[in-house]
Amino acid sequence: MSHRIQPHINGINRRSMLRSSLAGSLLLPGITECLAVDDAGPLAAKETHFPAKAKNVIFLFMTGGVSHIDTFDPKPALHRDHGKEIKADHPEIKDRPGYERIYLKRPQWEFSPHGECGTEVSTLFPHVASCVDDLAVIRSMHTSHSNHYNATLGMHTGSFAFSRPSIGSWVTYGMGTVNQNLPGFVVIAPQQTYAGTQVYSNDFLPAVNQGTLVVPGADPVANVKPRIPPKKQRQELLALQELNKLHLDTREHKGTLSARMKSFEIAYGMQQAVPDAFDFSKETKATLASYAIQSDSTMGFGWQCLAARRLIERGVRFVELIDTGSSGNWDAHGDMMTHVALSKNVDQPIAALIKDLKQRGMLEDTLVVWTTEFGRTPFNNTADAKGREHHPWAFTSWLAGAGVKSGITYGETDEHGLRAEVDKVHVHDFHATVLHLLGFDHEKLTYRHAGRDYRLTDVEGSVVKGILS
Amino acid sequence: MKRFSILIVALLLLFPFHLQADDFFEKQVRPLLVAKCYPCHAGTKQSGGLSLETKAGWTKGGESGPAIIPGDVDGSLLIDAINYRGIEMPPADKSGKLKPEEIEILTKWVQNGTVDPRVAGQQIGGMSKADSKTWWSYQPLAEVKVVQSPKTIDRLINHRLQAQGLTAKTAASRRELIRRATYDLTGLPPTYPDVIAFEQDKSPNAFLKVVNRLLESNEYGEHWGRHWLDVIRYGDTAGENSDRPLPHAWRFRNWVIHSINRDMPFTSFVQQQLAGDLQPLGDTVDLRNDGIIATGYLAVSRRYGHDINKDIHLMHEDVIDNVGKAFLATTIGCARCHDHKYDPITAEDYYALYGIFSSTKFSFPGCEPIPQPADLVTLELTGELARLYQEYLAAMAEYEANKPNNPEAIAMLKGLAAKSVTVLGTANVGQSGNEKLEEHLGDNSVRQIKKGEVLQLKINRNANYGADSTGILLNIQNTKASEKKWSSQELVELIDSDSPLIEVRGAKWAFLDATDGPKYLITKKLNIGGHAALKGWAFGDNPSVSANTGGTTVKAWTSLPPKTLFTHPGPGEDAAISWICPEDGEYAISGHVLDAHAGAGDGVTFFLEYFQSAEFGEGLAALGEKNGNLTPPTPLTIPVAYAVTEGAVSDAALQLRGDPEQAGENIPRRWLEIFGGTPTQNPQQSGRVDLASWITSHPLFARVLANRVWQWHVGQGVVATPNDFGSRGSVPSHPKLLEFLASQLVANNYRIKPLHRLIMLSDAYQRSSHASKAAHQQDPNNKWLSYFSPRRLTAEEIRDSLLVVSKELDSVPGEAHPFPPESTWNFSQHAPFNAVYQTNKRSVYMMVQRQRRHPFLSLFDGPDPNTSSPVRQQTTVPTQALYFLNDELFHSYANLTASRILASYPANPIIDELYQLLFQRLPTEAETDITLQFINTYDGTDEQKWQALSRILLSSNEFLYVD
Repeated sequence: MSHRIQPHINGINRRSMLRSSLAGSLLLPGITECLAVDDAGPLAAKETHFPAKAKNVIFLFMTGGVSHIDTFDPKPALHRDHGKEIKADHPEIKDRPGYERIYLKRPQWEFSPHGECGTEVSTLFPHVASCVDDLAVIRSMHTSHSNHYNATLGMHTGSFAFSRPSIGSWVTYGMGTVNQNLPGFVVIAPQQTYAGTQVYSNDFLPAVNQGTLVVPGADPVANVKPRIPPKKQRQELLALQELNKLHLDTREHKGTLSARMKSFEIAYGMQQAVPDAFDFSKETKATLASYAIQSDSTMGFGWQCLAARRLIERGVRFVELIDTGSSGNWDAHGDMMTHVALSKNVDQPIAALIKDLKQRGMLEDTLVVWTTEFGRTPFNNTADAKGREHHPWAFTSWLAGAGVKSGITYGETDEHGLRAEVDKVHVHDFHATVLHLLGFDHEKLTYRHAGRDYRLTDVEGSVVKGILS
Repeated sequence: MKRFSILIVALLLLFPFHLQADDFFEKQVRPLLVAKCYPCHAGTKQSGGLSLETKAGWTKGGESGPAIIPGDVDGSLLIDAINYRGIEMPPADKSGKLKPEEIEILTKWVQNGTVDPRVAGQQIGGMSKADSKTWWSYQPLAEVKVVQSPKTIDRLINHRLQAQGLTAKTAASRRELIRRATYDLTGLPPTYPDVIAFEQDKSPNAFLKVVNRLLESNEYGEHWGRHWLDVIRYGDTAGENSDRPLPHAWRFRNWVIHSINRDMPFTSFVQQQLAGDLQPLGDTVDLRNDGIIATGYLAVSRRYGHDINKDIHLMHEDVIDNVGKAFLATTIGCARCHDHKYDPITAEDYYALYGIFSSTKFSFPGCEPIPQPADLVTLELTGELARLYQEYLAAMAEYEANKPNNPEAIAMLKGLAAKSVTVLGTANVGQSGNEKLEEHLGDNSVRQIKKGEVLQLKINRNANYGADSTGILLNIQNTKASEKKWSSQELVELIDSDSPLIEVRGAKWAFLDATDGPKYLITKKLNIGGHAALKGWAFGDNPSVSANTGGTTVKAWTSLPPKTLFTHPGPGEDAAISWICPEDGEYAISGHVLDAHAGAGDGVTFFLEYFQSAEFGEGLAALGEKNGNLTPPTPLTIPVAYAVTEGAVSDAALQLRGDPEQAGENIPRRWLEIFGGTPTQNPQQSGRVDLASWITSHPLFARVLANRVWQWHVGQGVVATPNDFGSRGSVPSHPKLLEFLASQLVANNYRIKPLHRLIMLSDAYQRSSHASKAAHQQDPNNKWLSYFSPRRLTAEEIRDSLLVVSKELDSVPGEAHPFPPESTWNFSQHAPFNAVYQTNKRSVYMMVQRQRRHPFLSLFDGPDPNTSSPVRQQTTVPTQALYFLNDELFHSYANLTASRILASYPANPIIDELYQLLFQRLPTEAETDITLQFINTYDGTDEQKWQALSRILLSSNEFLYVD
């Protein structure tokens, strides 16, 4: 396993950094080294089905449904046909009063080609546009539900109704993690998105694979901030472990008792490791500025992106960033102009993240995924309606980094961006591809539950080969 | 093993060869093939191209050629494979290498000519008919007498221990045993005096006395009720997109606890949950109410989607899935889209049950587009409540009798109106229109009006139009006296009056249905559409004059601006407001009528009418005044249950590939085909009564329950997959033990308290938990039970124990949760319900939310309220340790524990007392040394020292684990 970890941190070998934080006991060498817990626990790093470049994932989720035709999927024909009435058997207009007739509505932002590859991006994402040579933009995404809740659940779990394990849980279940002082799967979200905690739930997978929620702010992870001074805490822990040891000594088989003693060691370490991951004081001003982080502020997506890089550096396997909560998000029914502030929140930080990862060599083994739950309609019930409705038939996602062909677009929608048409990629295909990039056959990454072998992709999904490098 | 072979030889000697061979196949070979080979080599699964389902299958063989050459053991690939020569079957990651006796059976089968009577094609779902007939868990149970002695249990377990070469551990200490039993039956720690009393009780039935005491405690039902709530995925919210609270579900939860405490036979317990409304346990008000409440089991099913009625097929799947798993350990839910792949369950079976539930009316929790809960089931009243209800009914009757709108008076007024009316102005108000009255009145905007005469603003719906919200404003100004002015805007604040006739400075305003003569809108509407700010008056259901009384826009059927009066004509109803003039004078009329529901329909037409008849105005006022006090008597809060009743009864159509829009043929309501396919008895009923009786009389029911009880006592089931007794589930580790426990359950009329006694009195239960290294190495999961598996406390036990030791526990049973009142709900998928309620009651009474897990319960592997949790996980993760290090609530429990014992002094007794409280024993010398040294060296006040020590001891392994 160790051969996979690449040196990253300014010449320091990441592996040695991980080892130093694991080696021995921070607290009580005399007691806990005798514990000799044989296995490193259920989160020990594991071999994947086949070798793959990607070892880590940063999953950027934009809540509410980003309009594809206003961001990454240019549709000149929409300008030409603006106001033209169309017919569509669309789930969002079915039996909906006032939506008996629908009209095409033109994009509100200009597109232009960027980078050497010339991928077109709108003016909503000027910074991400500067990274297109690193992206594989999938313009033919589609999903199975037009409701936020269901589509969000689907994008995270492959199930559009029932609670099932999240993609991050599947990945940590399959790969384990390399830094036992930090959780393997971290979700950084200022607010809860649709479907609540289900989007990062382990569901029937072992509970260690549950996403740990980080809420930007003074205490990002619950119970990490010590309640008493370090010296006293050490003294208490020492007494605790001495008493635990007396209790343990009466037994031949130690079972989970020693594992629990060890867990206090790790928790003690986490009190340092977790704040350290979120302590940006050692980052340069230039770095902070590139992520658009205001000094000492945890507000904004820049904080989330830099935290993601720092967590990946420290061996966290899967980091998901959710930009907004279940209200005040990209759900632009009333006015597409709300996309301006939302894209401004994420654009520069995302570009900074990609460039930062690249410059540090981390993009070699890190997969960056950008997605939303569905697109927005290229039509509305009047041509001059300000907003757009939910659109499961087509949307855009992109991938970058380890194992991904860079500087390409993949798949197409029709001339109005109404339906994914060429090389369609369903959410299940998308998941199969992410797992493939990590070294998993999505049909074999299964878990037996209630008599059935469950997987992230249900009974569907095929790998999108066209985006693999 | 030897005895086994002798038995086979004996059989071979007794029967003619082909009968022997058939019998050998049916009894020995077929069950083995089904259990070990079919998962990959039968039905649609033909791994490596090989089917072992028929003779044709193994003759043809797979990619490597024929699997069996009859009579040729050395030449048969199958025999190589099961011996792990070259090929390894079944592979280690499936069921693993067969046991020697199993290899012997298959070898013998091949050797003796491979007689195979199986006929292809006779399938039910994923199993052949013949295979399913022999499936172990479907077989009838032997009839037995009640036994009191646990000897059989120990004989069966010790027999397997011997076979495995394992030695049983000696008995646990008395202290360990009573702590184990107390947590086991009540989920709480014993007290120190309990332990001492038990240690000193030398009578032979000392432990039985402890068990009986615990079984009689209320805490027993709270703990074992929780087990059942795990299985049936109880939750206090609906789980749909806005996760609405279920304010009445608690009655069901408490019924479960109460019924378990009463040791209700499980047949009745389950029968009540499925059909208690139709077949209560007796003909008293309480039992009838209990029957209704018990069906809360069905009602608490998970709801799905935005408009839950559109995803109702998913709720039915949840119901069928849970019924299958909880009562029968059978995975029926997968047959929604296609026949079961491995078990004898078909899609027709699924829709046969579906019809039973779709013929049932479930309480409706509300959802974002349909906010109000509905179809809650009213409970019968008893005692004081019944008397108050009679009073209420009498007051209501009086109210009804004095109700307004006397038809004769209306007819008279209608005549007067026809003679006296002049239309001062009229206009159509189109899409998004806003028409100023004065622009349509011309010279009529200023006119003489006499006392008693009437101005009326009437809003007519246009043709082909149902209802619309129309904002109205009518200003009337006396041109000679500036202070004499009236405006309908004032009615926004007054709409909450007692009557639709409102007096303002001598003038009177009337809210009318003006379709056919003036009729007062006599029904006051509050919380329209669940919005507290929306109030109004209606005739019938539709609000016809209403107001947004709040200061902000309300998003109801449309966006309703603040502080605005609306008319809302219904289909076939014209709404009006009338102003009865207080004194003769010249009046200027102004105002507007605007479309408040833009984007829907083709608008309304207003008429400003003038009735030049004082007689008309006086009559109108008299009609309104005669109504007297129109406020209906305050309704009593009638207890309701979140439950089910019979609905529109009919069979359901099969949904092709599980898609409700693709209807297949109608499937009659009936029992599963494999169990006989009996049709429901009474076609006028849903069939829940039949279903309950089919389920509770099937041998699976007793086996599944017995297995659960065993598992909840010893930590693992005889069948390790307690929700799956089908071909994908585990095989029983101790088949005879399961048969014994299940038949004892039946013999005890399905009461589980006798089963508790039987199990807990066994040596197997009372063994020490201190496993030897060797025993653990040989049997890492303690499958053969050579010792008692120690366990971590569950999330609820941890919390309840902390409450006990800190003396914070409020042991009064919980009832309803402090949910916000229904009238204030406006939960949506954008802003779903979300709350964590602080309580000091036992954890079983905590509010369990479906969309957002309770942080504490989720941290310590609490149950999943979205799906059946037959087994609790026991993880050990650092975030749990962080809870003990830094959680605020944990620190406060520790502080309270310290304050409890601080009264005593000096130090030694305090340490002793802490140990007695937490561990029900005295500290050892070594422990006293460590803790005393800690107290002496820890920097801080006395209080801080003891608080620190309390933290340490409450964090310790001994506190968290049960031996």
